This record gives sequence, C-alpha cells and structure tokens, in this order.
Amino acid sequence: MSAPLLALRGVRKAFGRRLLFEIERLAIEAGGAYVLVGPNGSGKTTLMRILAGLDRDAGGVMSVHDQDMSFGSYPEHLRRSIVYVHQHPYLFHTSLRHNLEYGLKCRGVPAAERARRVEEAIAWAGLAAQRATPPGKLSGGEKQRAALARARALEPELLLLDEPTSNLDRDGRAQTLALLAQLRDERRTVIVACHDQEIINLDGFARLRLEEGRIALQSG
Amino acid sequence: MRPWLAARLAALALAFCAASVFAKDIKMATTTSTDNSGLLQYLLPKFEADCHCKIHYTAVGTGAALKLGQNGDVDVVLVHARPSEDKFVAAGYGVNRRDVMYNDFVIVGPASDPAGIKGMHDPLAALKKLHASGATFVSRGDDSGTNKKELAYWKAIGIKPGGPHYLAVGQGMGATLTVAGEKQAYTLSDRATYATYASKTGLEILVQGNRKLLNPYGVIAVSPKRYPKVNYKGAMTFIEWLTSPTGQRAIGDYRFKGAQLFHPDYKKN
Amino acid sequence: MDLLEPTSQAFRLLFSGDPELWRIIWLSLWVSLAAIALVAAPSIALGFLLAKKRFPGQRAAVVLVQALLSFPTVVIGLVIYLLLSRRGPLGSFELLFTPWAIMIGYMMIAFPILVVFTISAVQGADPRVYETARCLGADRLRASLTTLFEVRFGILAAVVNGFGRAISEVGCAIMVGGNIAGLTRNIPTAIALETTKGDFAQGIALGFVLMVVALGVNVLLALLQGQGGLK
Repeated sequence: MSAPLLALRGVRKAFGRRLLFEIERLAIEAGGAYVLVGPNGSGKTTLMRILAGLDRDAGGVMSVHDQDMSFGSYPEHLRRSIVYVHQHPYLFHTSLRHNLEYGLKCRGVPAAERARRVEEAIAWAGLAAQRATPPGKLSGGEKQRAALARARALEPELLLLDEPTSNLDRDGRAQTLALLAQLRDERRTVIVACHDQEIINLDGFARLRLEEGRIALQSG
Repeated sequence: MRPWLAARLAALALAFCAASVFAKDIKMATTTSTDNSGLLQYLLPKFEADCHCKIHYTAVGTGAALKLGQNGDVDVVLVHARPSEDKFVAAGYGVNRRDVMYNDFVIVGPASDPAGIKGMHDPLAALKKLHASGATFVSRGDDSGTNKKELAYWKAIGIKPGGPHYLAVGQGMGATLTVAGEKQAYTLSDRATYATYASKTGLEILVQGNRKLLNPYGVIAVSPKRYPKVNYKGAMTFIEWLTSPTGQRAIGDYRFKGAQLFHPDYKKN
Repeated sequence: MDLLEPTSQAFRLLFSGDPELWRIIWLSLWVSLAAIALVAAPSIALGFLLAKKRFPGQRAAVVLVQALLSFPTVVIGLVIYLLLSRRGPLGSFELLFTPWAIMIGYMMIAFPILVVFTISAVQGADPRVYETARCLGADRLRASLTTLFEVRFGILAAVVNGFGRAISEVGCAIMVGGNIAGLTRNIPTAIALETTKGDFAQGIALGFVLMVVALGVNVLLALLQGQGGLK
C-alpha cells in the first residue's frame, strides 16, 4: 500500500493548560474525500489551520508523502500543495480574474496558461455572469464558489475547506454542494469541516469525528 | 479698609494707568543694521529718559520700513537709502527729513579670496573683478538699504546681477552673512553686523574705506497731513533729540567691540 | 489696506506666467514630490513590519514613531542645519542652503506620517488577507505586498498627507534652505519672507496655488476612494 498523502502522529493542540485535542494517528489518503465533523468548540477549525500551516503552536509530527514536516513554516512546495479556504473566504478587492489567477501567478504559471485556467475556473464555478462584478459586491454564495474555484484552479494535492456552506441561502448551498461533489469526482483530496448535514450525508465522503479531544474515522 | 475708600483708590489707580497709556508712544520703523549693531539698544533708553516717553521700533529692510511709513503704520522711519527716502518725501508720505549719521559698508569674503580682490580700493572695480572671476556672491535681495546700495553698485558698472553664482536670500544681514559663510562666498555688509558675525562665518574684510562705501542714514516723520492719526508730536520729539548735540554725541559715543560704528553728521542748513 | 489691488495683481502674475513665480512653484512641487518618492517605500515597509511582525521592543518602536509625529519641525530643521553646516559632521558635502537640504528635511518630516498611517492601515486590514495570500501560495514578501495593496487607499492617504505636510513646511525650509531666489525659494518661504517686504501680490498668488494643490490632491484621493468602493 502506498504511503498516505498526509499522516498525523501524536498531534496535540493546547491553549495554556487546557488540551484541545490529541490525535494519536490519522492518515489521509490521496484522492479521498473527508468531512470533518464535531460539536462546536471541538477544534475543527484549529485542526484545519494547523494542517494548512497557519498555526505553529502544535505538538506532534505530521508527514507528507512520508516526509516529516514541522508545523507553521512550510517549505514552498508544501504551501503549494495544501490550500486552505477560510470559513468566510476573503476575495481581494481587485477583480474576479485577479483573484482566480493569484495563486497561479505565485507559481509562475505563464500568462496564456493562466488565462486558460481562469476561464476554466469561471466556468466550473458558474460565474460567467459575474465576471465583471467587483468581488466585494458578490453575494455570499458567489463568493464561496469563487473561493472554491480559486483554490481548485491551483490543483493542490490537498484542499482544506472550512464550513463552506455556512451563511449561504438555499441556492448557494445547493450550488456549493454540487461543487463539492464534483471535487470528489475529480478525485481531489479534500477535507471539509462542517456542521451541514447535507454535506455530511454526501456519498463518498468519509467521516472524521473530532470530539472531546479525540478523532475517529466513522463508518457508514 | 473701608469699602468706599478701597473703591476710591482703585478708581485712582485705574485713572493713572489710563493716563500713562494715553501719553502716546512713538512707533518707529528702522532697518536691521541699526538694530543688529546694538545702536538702538544703546540710544533709545537715553532718549526715553530724556523725553519721558516710550518709543517702540520694528526692524525690517529699508524698503519694508518705508512701506510701513507709506501705510501710516508707524510714526517715524530711520533708514539708509537716500534715493528712496527722497521719493518717500516727494510723494508726500514723509516730512522733515534730516541727516542723522553714517556708517560704512565693507565687501567681505573667504580668506582664500579666489576672486583676488583683497586690498583693492575701489569697490566698483572689486565687484567687476569678482563678477568676472565667477565667484559666488550672496545678496540680501530684500529691498533693504544695503541691498539698494549693492544694486546701485552693479548698475554703476553696467552688470545685471543674476545667474547661478548670485544668491539672493531675501533676508536680513545676519542670515545673508551666514549663507555667505557656509558657501564661502562674497557679500556686501555693513561693518557692524559683519563684526557681530565675524567669528561665526569666518569671512574677512577684503575691501573697505572708500568714500563710495559710506552709508548715510536719514530720519523722516510720517506726514500728519496724510495720516492725521499718526503721533507727529512724538516723531518730531525723536527727530529733534536725534539731531540735537546730545543725541549726536550719543551716536558718536557708541562703541561695538571697541570700535566706533556710526558717525553723527547732522548739519543745520 | 486695500486687498483688491494685490489680489487682482496676484492673478495677473499667475496667468501671465511670471517666471519668478513659476520657478518658486516648480521648486516646491519637485522637492516635495521627490522627498515623498524617496521616503515612501522604506516608510511603508517599516510601517508594515511594525504592524505585523512580533519582536521584542515592537511596542516601544511604535510608540517612538508616533512620538516623532509631534516632533517640532523647527527642531528637525535645527538638527539638519547642525549636521550639514560647514562646521558640522556632513559639512564637506556642502548641502546646506541647497534644495537637497530642504528635501532631506521634508523626508524626515514625512517619514513618521507615512509610517504611522501605514501601521494604522495595515492593522485595520482584514487578517484574512495575509493568510489567504499565503494559503494560495504566496511567499512572505508577496503576501505582504498583497496586504498593502488591499489597504492601498489607507496607504495613499498616508502619502497624500505626507506630501501636503511637506509642501507647506516653512520653518525647516527657511532654516536649511535659506530662501535663495531661484535655488531654495519655495512657496512657503516666499510667502513668509517676501510678504514682509510689503509685496502682497506674490504672497497671495502663491498662497492660492498652495491651497489649490492641497485641495486638489485631497479631492483626487477622495475620488479614487469612491471609485474603488473601499473605505
């Protein structure tokens, strides 16, 4: 069996003396779709941020493709393979196009290729009509889709999505759900932290339950 | 103390203050050279003691001083630019112009004297040589008596001052000397201000003593016909004192760093 | 005193293209712009670091820069004068009473303004900006630049403010510039020193120009902010 994409060993997070969680073992397989569930305050966002490299104060070891990494200061290639999307994603106040191609520019993708991938992202997210809208004026659902498209366009090895359907209306949620299913079908490794039952019940998503400081892979 | 007595005393004191305010003060506009040299600090207290009055002055350039007289903002002017003074009187702004004293100008510059004018007798020839050498010259450029004299010199030798080596600072003699010191340049200064700033600027006197460098001062009362509200009486008191044997002697007695700077020259004609 | 005559004279001076007047205006503009251009990048960079990075003494540094904001400009002029004067440590460069001395003064005056405004703008930025940039793969420099771009109107306000402060500064400019006609005589020194000679037309004309510049630059800022739809 090939090495998992991501393996956590003894990863713990504490605030002062209060232990938030301790994860003895966790393996994330490449191409797998996971949904991270747990009660409020269990540390879902914290765990996601640690995986994203935004939080250094964590104990334990994480290895990517069997290579050990230290938390918080990811080497460049790792930053490029793991993309995190905030619960309320931030779109730069520039243009939709600029947002979508931002990460591509960081990776040195040439202009022609960038243009192609931006077009593809717009189509994927169904935002053709909003092409010229200032990002600040997009609706909640449109912002969410734009953020997802922005992350996906970078073709990361691991996508971390934090509560992608919170604060969305019914249409927004439906569209986001469809995109999540598409990500799963595209065999992108994705971990979605959320409360949303509809996502939790999505086919093909393995459930990780974070509760009382422990994580467990749930079946069913 | 009984309340009514206190009230009477207070009223008396108030009346006394009012009276001293109403004994009218004299306002004079003069030039920075009379001020910088310390002459006024020496002379005016003597005048005030003799006349039992108060005189206030503002020291600006000759042009500005005459402008103040023109606007009726002062009662008397003491300046050193004969042609401008004559124009002032002719236009009806001033009356009773009298000669008071003279001091002299010097051409100063860096000890190294790149223009080679040291010891020359004729200031006009010196300025001509200076200009030809391309050395930097700092001008007051502030329409003062000194500035007018400087411009008259250039005119006399047919040179229009300007260009990158001619720096007009638009300020008083002290500032001009400071700039000249910094730039190691030449300038025209009255002897008194130069003496005050000599150690700070490191400049030396290069041309002096010529008749053309003499600088006569005149005192003029602002015309009461033009400006009836002006303190003409006070102005004339001052002018009379300045040109009296007492005043003239005081001017001649003034010493700055052991040297006499001003020479009284009022002649009753 | 009749003000109508010198005022109409002032406008005649302006529109007739009086060379002396326009030399003064030009000096003010280029020295102020150059000073801001030179000091902007380092100030903004420092402001960003002070706002974001945690290091020992950070609080003290921020307080120090804020204190510099109230530093009297005449004292700045005095310090520069002492440094640049012939007898001073930098006297050999012969910079005193040149436009470069004024420029140095303007840079020192604008510096705390730019830093403090930048700190404020960056601290007011959404914390997700930097993180989003990093998550999308930007390195620290790029993420910092992106953050600065997101708060660009706050930064622009800093620059406009610094420029406005510089171009109006008189005390420092007189002290280290010397008001030399054609060389270091700019708008504020001309107004301050030439007006006392009784010639008000030039002073009025220059004052008018200064007001137009100050207003114009702020109107431009407001327009840009409105267009961007950003605070």
